[in-house]
Amino acid sequence: MKLSAVVSDSIGPFPSPTEDKTATLDCIRRARAGDVDAFEVLYREHSGRVYALCVRLKAGDRSNATELMQDVFIKAWRRLETFRGDCAFGSWLHRLAVNTMLENARSDRRRSARVLSMEDTSLLPGAARSNSIDLKMDMEEAVASLPRGARTAFVLHDVEGYQHQEIAEQLGVSVGTVKAQLHRARRLLRARLEGTKEEGNGGIDE
Amino acid sequence: MTHEVIRHLLDDYVTGELSEDARGPVADHVAVCEICSAEVESLERILARASELPKSIEPPAEAWSNIRTAILREENSAAAHSTRTATPAFWRRPWVVTAAAAAAVAVLSSTITAAYLNSRSHTSSASITTSETATPATLAAFTVEENNYLRQASALQDLLDQQETALAPETVAQLKASLRTIDEAILEARSALARDPSNKLLIEMLSTNYKQKVDLLRRSTEMTRGT
Repeated sequence: MKLSAVVSDSIGPFPSPTEDKTATLDCIRRARAGDVDAFEVLYREHSGRVYALCVRLKAGDRSNATELMQDVFIKAWRRLETFRGDCAFGSWLHRLAVNTMLENARSDRRRSARVLSMEDTSLLPGAARSNSIDLKMDMEEAVASLPRGARTAFVLHDVEGYQHQEIAEQLGVSVGTVKAQLHRARRLLRARLEGTKEEGNGGIDE
Repeated sequence: MTHEVIRHLLDDYVTGELSEDARGPVADHVAVCEICSAEVESLERILARASELPKSIEPPAEAWSNIRTAILREENSAAAHSTRTATPAFWRRPWVVTAAAAAAVAVLSSTITAAYLNSRSHTSSASITTSETATPATLAAFTVEENNYLRQASALQDLLDQQETALAPETVAQLKASLRTIDEAILEARSALARDPSNKLLIEMLSTNYKQKVDLLRRSTEMTRGT
């Protein structure tokens, strides 16, 4: 596979700020040849950002986040050949993390034989607190308390910096759905962070 | 635009994702509407707090070890696939060992660990870099030998997998730890060999590690059969 020196920042929001493109390419080449030590260098460089994403996608559950991150890097090892170098390696890993999270969620749903609607807040972390209008949370806690769909959209857009279109493509939903989830997430966060009244069942606009 | 329409646009207005055409009328409205002005300020506070969240969180220290072990398992499995069709599910399934075998496995694992550490102590990086280069014939012979070991290891793992009844958890843990130690040694040798494919000393180390793994698996299956 051709791997030209184009570990560019053209796709994806957040390449690692310290990502040394030449060194990264060298590590990727070595890892593809079976050098696990080279892959460990990539892990050390990117695991902090991937883990932060996983923690937030998993509603602050560190144990589940660790499992997700491990899955991501194991998949990355398997799929190194598919990294074409047309985006930053960090962005590629981020995308892999989101896809893995979605795959796991689908698998979990199949196992439980129950579809947890993106709109169903009753069974999600933080749901019990969602109506506590006088209970303020810190930001991490508030994000973790969001319904899954709203949380995913918020983390990807407002924390990670993805564009609406990118998120829509990754999640397999429309841009309008992404915007609606973002709107909902921000209003819920406002209520939970500032102790104001939450807007109806999912927000004033729903 | 009406107040209600503009309220729907405030998210994109605050994040700068509103079209130029719409931006002007929304800005004019926000300037005179207390409700929308307060909404904008509130959204800006939320976005500011989102931007302040740490971009990186240190993962647990054991995460890399788990990843490395999983990679090794897959690499071994993939190599075995090249010589046989069945995939061993041994590593993924719970398996048990009898309490009567615990002591024997413990002794065996210690022996193997010691042998592994001893082999490492005699193969420093300096000696590896100055090692004799393997001939093409040696490499070809090693490839055959490697396939043979992998085939044997997979078959033995399958056998253990079929005997997953009633062994003490601590025995299982001991045996898994021993196998993990050997697998890590295999992984290290393979990684080094990837960088220096014709290093004879590395080939010998890898060969020794394969023998240790097959030996441990064989003894384990013999013990489970005897219980």
